[in-house]
Amino acid sequence: MNVVIDWLAFLQVFVAALVGAAAIVTFYALGLRLLVRSGHAPVVSPAEFTDAITVITEKELKRAEKQAAKAARKSPLTEGQKKLALVGAYACFALCAAAVVAGILMLVVGH
Amino acid sequence: METAALIVVLVIALALFFDFTNGFHDTANAMATPIATGALKPKTAVLLAAVLNLVGAFLSTEVSKTISGGIIREDAILDAGADLFLSLIFAGLIGAITWNMLTWLLGLPSSSSHALFGGLIGATLVGAGMGGIDFGAVLSKIVLPALIAPVTAGIIAFAATKIAYSVTRRYDGKPDGRDGFRWGQIFTSSLVALAHGTNDAQKTMGVITLAMITIGWQSGAHHEPELWVIIACAFTIALGTYLGGWRIIRTLGKGLTDVKPAQGFAAESSTAATILASSALGFALSTTQVASGSVIGSGLGRRGSTVRWRTAGRIGVGWLLTLPAAGGVGALAALLVVWLGNWGVAIDAVLALAIILGLFMRSRRNAVTPANAMSDVAASGRAIELPDTPPPTRRQLRIEQAKAEAKARAEAREKVKAQAKKDAKAKAEKKAQAKAGAKASKSSTGVPAERNGDSE
Repeated sequence: MNVVIDWLAFLQVFVAALVGAAAIVTFYALGLRLLVRSGHAPVVSPAEFTDAITVITEKELKRAEKQAAKAARKSPLTEGQKKLALVGAYACFALCAAAVVAGILMLVVGH
Repeated sequence: METAALIVVLVIALALFFDFTNGFHDTANAMATPIATGALKPKTAVLLAAVLNLVGAFLSTEVSKTISGGIIREDAILDAGADLFLSLIFAGLIGAITWNMLTWLLGLPSSSSHALFGGLIGATLVGAGMGGIDFGAVLSKIVLPALIAPVTAGIIAFAATKIAYSVTRRYDGKPDGRDGFRWGQIFTSSLVALAHGTNDAQKTMGVITLAMITIGWQSGAHHEPELWVIIACAFTIALGTYLGGWRIIRTLGKGLTDVKPAQGFAAESSTAATILASSALGFALSTTQVASGSVIGSGLGRRGSTVRWRTAGRIGVGWLLTLPAAGGVGALAALLVVWLGNWGVAIDAVLALAIILGLFMRSRRNAVTPANAMSDVAASGRAIELPDTPPPTRRQLRIEQAKAEAKARAEAREKVKAQAKKDAKAKAEKKAQAKAGAKASKSSTGVPAERNGDSE
């Protein structure tokens, strides 16, 4: 029996998935970093405080909010630089979304 | 022909039931992480997963084509007779469902997809012999992806976690914005649900299409599933996903591992990327195993993590067992068909009914144990042990060292200063004493004191 295994296809999947995941994570993380830089440090409370969540408590959340506000006040950047960082952050988020849309389009259209 | 039509209807019903259990079982896998990190409310998460599974099922049909057109050699089997082949598909489905239920009852990690393939392959082997299976296709589209995909997903998740942490790391102790990954998780977990639809709903479509081609209701020239098949499968998996939600809601508070938003984001994006890329090439893989691989990989990507080998080994054994075990059950069901003909099919149908009823009764029971309350993916997180405080990075170490050195220098300076002060004080005291002594001696003897106080 002739058994042919398409090893190249595995490599293709691996590379495509690696590039896709790395692009999403890098752009999103970069966006967050720039967002912090622009003085808008995100403090996101959990949608629901259940027992399972050891990530953050309400007290910690308040402290985090205070800290973020303080850091924003003490930021050494000028207003213009802050605005630039904010624009950069949104651009990164947009790139991240674009990467996802491109991936799904590739799937739907076929290869 | 009438019995054949009846069997096709049975196959479709059973396949759709399998689709339903698949969605039911896998909601937890897609949505356990966002719920654990508090990214989504459980009810929202479940609804979102259901809708996106529905959408995902319409996106691609590559995986369905793999099953309906690649694995089993219809030409070899059609020689044996369409009736027999239909009964074999039926037997394979029974094997898959039985194994799925068994692993669920025992709390073993398993994959519904592998159960399906195992059952189909086992039944075909018994009914049509070795010639019935295209081993090349089975190896390259099912067995190898099954072994490779969780590992690659793990590697990708490891890299993604490293990236997520290093890009957002701050060394000055100010807020790092990692909380924002909680927003991102809403979006990546949606992607996972979508990817699940593109891969898992396709498997059922493939089986139904295979049955349709066999009986001649669809031409064998093209393996695309019919539109009604796509719609039926999409809605069934979405319904299963939605109804499976109560399980996750119960799961909350029971044994979820500590997943940080940044880690969850990285794990989910690698799961989604791996499944979507595989779906595009028609690899039918187990979404459960890919998600588990990602969770383990991302756990390893956090600093100071170590592997709990016992737990990891248990998960691995469960994965490897599924395919042959479901194959064994499928083969047994096929043996009944081969020996007893239509009576065998009838016995199989009764067995399937009993299993489905058992499953239903089981799902009604409210006892929550780690065996039934945890999703396989959440459970696999336990294979990684994380310290409460991770060891410092090299740069953090350098900063720490520099700080310690600066402190030591400052202390040394303080010491020298203190010493100098002390010396000065001692000298001043000495001088004062000497002066007093000189005055005393002057007043008593009249001899002028020598210049003793004007030093320096």
